[in-house]
Amino acid sequence: MSGKQRQFDALVRSLSGDLFRYGYWLCGDEALAHDLVQETFLRAWRALDNLRETAAAKSWLITILRREHARLYERKTPQFADVDEVDVIDERDAHMPEFAGEENVIRNAIRQLDAKYRDPLLLQVLGGFSCEEIARELKITPAAVMTQVFRARQKLKAMLGGEIREAQIHELS
Amino acid sequence: MNCLEFRRELLIDPQSIAADLQRHARECPRCAEAQARALAFEASLQTALAVPAPAQLAESILLRHATEQQRSRQRVRRGGAVLGLAAAVALAFGIGMRLQAQPLAEISVAHLQREAFVLSMTKPVAEAQIRKAFADLGVKDVGALPPDVSFVACCPVGRYSSVHLLMPRSNGPVTVLYLTDDHAEARREFVRDGWLGRSVPLAHGTLVLLAHDASQFDQIESQWRGALQNAT
Repeated sequence: MSGKQRQFDALVRSLSGDLFRYGYWLCGDEALAHDLVQETFLRAWRALDNLRETAAAKSWLITILRREHARLYERKTPQFADVDEVDVIDERDAHMPEFAGEENVIRNAIRQLDAKYRDPLLLQVLGGFSCEEIARELKITPAAVMTQVFRARQKLKAMLGGEIREAQIHELS
Repeated sequence: MNCLEFRRELLIDPQSIAADLQRHARECPRCAEAQARALAFEASLQTALAVPAPAQLAESILLRHATEQQRSRQRVRRGGAVLGLAAAVALAFGIGMRLQAQPLAEISVAHLQREAFVLSMTKPVAEAQIRKAFADLGVKDVGALPPDVSFVACCPVGRYSSVHLLMPRSNGPVTVLYLTDDHAEARREFVRDGWLGRSVPLAHGTLVLLAHDASQFDQIESQWRGALQNAT
């Protein structure tokens, strides 16, 4: 097995799960996410010589995945609404983890975020990107990234009845 | 850093380990509590985002990659004559990867794992021994056999009878099972417990190939096709 093949195998085994999770939240569909991850790694193989630092592999792969997503699926409407969950969770229940499970409540809240808030948050939390890296990826300013991840968390906490309230923030200003 | 700046930073990057952030948390109990809540929320967020990845995701990617590589080499050798066909096969192969738990795959890999000691055998077995194994299971008129078989035995595989063979290769041994009383409807590629597999209808039975590296599958399938296609 060549060194390149070994490096590729190691990347696939260590990062395919993370890439799938990011892909899932990007496109909202498991099957599409699976395809996206496969296409990402096939494209990554062809460009593997460009990867100079192994530590940067995850962000490099996420960048490829985002491009693949834009190329292949951007015209498809994200299917974030989970019919089963919509059917069984009403507005009141969405704030009551004991009815639906805390993870599902948070997932529903994430799905309800506008893409402009969700995208930078996913890059930060799942991708491990810094605000500067997110800014380069999304082609916006670092200040805009900070505002969007700030608001993303605010909105999530508001939807989830979080403890940090805007009032507290304003109280401090 | 004041409290407002600290609270803003908590919503921008709760995981930040910036020195001035940590210093403020040490000096301000209220902000330290807010930081603890923010980190707890962040942990919940990470847990919620961690949707489970499909089983054998990595294996399916590696198999798809190996197949694409193999097809690519073949395309080069054949001067691009089979480009369209290879792409279609690769696409079908990719789609087929989601069908992972085929019973034939399951019982074949289970048998391989039960008899894993066979995998280290490298000494060639006599051709007469191979012919006898097929004859014992009622397979007659076997043609020219591949020259490099290092193990042969008649084995039950699930509810089928099979001739179990091993073919050593430089990139790892390939296990060959010929199920004499099963006839698969179509050829299929699969991944099971880290093993790459292929099942092919052949004569009155089914040929199953198993290995960690599928690059030799085409050649070995061709050899056994030559040996068994006219078998009765």
